[in-house]
Amino acid sequence: MEAEELQTTARMARLSLSTAEEERLGRAVERMLAYCSHMASLPVDDLEPTTHALLTKNRLRPDESPGGQSADALLANAPEREDRFILIPNVL
Amino acid sequence: MPGSLDGSWRERASARDAAVGAFLQLDPSIGAADSAASGPLSGTTFGVKDNIAVRGYQLTCGSRLLEGVVSPYTATAVERLQRAGAVVAGKTNLDEFGMGSSTENSAFKRTLNPFDHGRVPGGSSGGSAAAVAAGIVDFALGSDTGGSVRQPASFCGLFGLKPTYGAVSRYGLVAYASSLEVIGVLARSVDLVERVFAVMRGEDPRDHSSLPWESAARPARAAKAAKAAKGGARGKTAPLCVGLPRECAGEGLCPEVRRTLEATKERLAGLGHAVAEVDLPTLEHVVAAYYVIATAEASANLARFDGIRYGRRAGGAVNPEELVLASRSAGFGDEVKLRILLGTYVLRSGFQDQYYLRAQKVRTAIRADFARVFDSVDLLLMPVYPVPPFAPGSAEADPFAQKLADVYTCSANLAGLPALAFPAAVEAGLPIGMQLLAPPFAEDRLFEACRGLEKIFPSPDPGAP
Repeated sequence: MEAEELQTTARMARLSLSTAEEERLGRAVERMLAYCSHMASLPVDDLEPTTHALLTKNRLRPDESPGGQSADALLANAPEREDRFILIPNVL
Repeated sequence: MPGSLDGSWRERASARDAAVGAFLQLDPSIGAADSAASGPLSGTTFGVKDNIAVRGYQLTCGSRLLEGVVSPYTATAVERLQRAGAVVAGKTNLDEFGMGSSTENSAFKRTLNPFDHGRVPGGSSGGSAAAVAAGIVDFALGSDTGGSVRQPASFCGLFGLKPTYGAVSRYGLVAYASSLEVIGVLARSVDLVERVFAVMRGEDPRDHSSLPWESAARPARAAKAAKAAKGGARGKTAPLCVGLPRECAGEGLCPEVRRTLEATKERLAGLGHAVAEVDLPTLEHVVAAYYVIATAEASANLARFDGIRYGRRAGGAVNPEELVLASRSAGFGDEVKLRILLGTYVLRSGFQDQYYLRAQKVRTAIRADFARVFDSVDLLLMPVYPVPPFAPGSAEADPFAQKLADVYTCSANLAGLPALAFPAAVEAGLPIGMQLLAPPFAEDRLFEACRGLEKIFPSPDPGAP
C-alpha cells in the first residue's frame, strides 16, 4: 500500500502514525489485504450479502427512557470536568 | 458478603492469581451486595472479562485508553447471574478490546497458562480461562467474536461455550464486532456451563439483537441415520450423527492436535455416535471474510473512543480534533490500530465492493454450507486451534499466524452457530481441546454429547501453582 493511501486511511480513522508505525502497520495491513483478496476466487455474484447471521428484521422499542442510569456516575468518568460540564479545548 | 468469600478465600485466590496473573481487578467485595443470597448458582464465584460491564468495577477492555474507567451499570448477563446467587470475584485480563489469541495484547499485564507458565493461556479471554483453570473461581465469562472463549478454554483444559448469536444479551458488552460476538462461559464441567447458560440466556429488551431461546429439536433424519449406522444406542443417550469436515482433518494441524482429533472420533464412536466425513468447502475463505467483517465493524464501534467523555485524555491538545487524534493514537495498542486501519480501508469508497460487500456475500455462502451439512448431521466435530498452547515469541505467536489459526473457530461466528470446546488431551503437559458445533439454538445437543465425552476425559487439573 502506498504511504499516502495509509495516511489517508489513518486520517479517516482519527489515528496519527509515527514513521515506525507507518512502516510496521502499513506492512501488516498490506499483508492482510493480500490474504483477504483470495476471496475473489469464490463465485458469489448471485448471493445476497449477510449482515447478521440470525436477525431477519429490525426491532424498535418505545422512545422512552428505561431509567436506571445515573448521570453523576457517567460524569464521574470524564477526564476533565467543571461542575456538570465536560471540558474540551477551544473549538475556535 | 457470603461467608465463603472471607479472608481465607481472598488469601488463596490472591496467591493463585499472583502465579498466573488472571485478574486485572480481584475484589469480590465491590459487587457482593448485588448478588442474591440464594438461587440456583449460590455458592459460586465467577470472573468477568474486562470488556463486560459490572457496576462499581473498572471497565478497561485491556486498553490504556480506558484506564481508570469505572462502570456505572451492569451487563444483563452478569445481572442475571447475580440474581441467581453467583458472586463476581473480579475482572479478568484480555487482549485489548478482545483482539488477539494470546492475551499478550493486554496493555496491563501478561497472563500465564496455569499448566505451563512458559506458555500463553490463549485469548482473547485468556484471563478468564486462567482464572478457572487455576481454581480461583468456579466459572468465568468471556466474549467470543472469532473464537475468544473456545480457544483459551482449549489452551487451559476447560469447557468453553460460544452460544448461538443473540442467545445471550450483549447489553454491557463493549462492542468490537457486533454481528459476530456473543458472551460465553468457561468452566471445568459441562454441568456448570449448562447451568450458567440456562441463567444467562434469553431475550433482553436492552439488546435489540437478543433472541428468545428455545431448544432446537433434532431432525428425525439425522437421528435415524445415526441409529442405522450404529445399530441402535449403546449409551444412555440416543446416538448422534457427528460430521467431521474433511477440510479440518488433514493439512494444517500439528501432529498432537491431529492425534487428539483421531482420539475424539474414536471416543464418539465408542459412545455409540456415528462419525461421518462431510465437505465444508467454504472453510478456506472463512478467515478472510471474518477479518474483513470484524475489522470493518471494529472501525465503526471503536470510533466512540475519543478521550472526551471517559478514559485517558492526551495532554496539550489545542483543539478538539487534535485531542481525539492524540488520545486515540496514544491510547490504542498496535493490534487495535492495525484492525481499525484495515477496517477503515475495506469500508472506503472504491474498495468497499471488493472487500466488505464481497465478505458479506462469502458469509452467505458459509451459512448455506453449514445449513446443507446440518441437513444430514446433528453436530460437527472440529479442532479448536491447529497447535497446542504456544510460547510467547514463538513462530505460532506471530500476529499473522494467530489470525490464520482462527480458521476452525471463526466460522461459527460468521454463521451464528453455537459451539462448545471441550478438553480432549494433555500432550507434554499441555491441554488440547476440540469443539462441537450445532445448528442455532441446539446447545442442548452440545451438552448431551460433551457429557459423554467428559466421562472419558474430564477437565484436567494443572496442579498446585
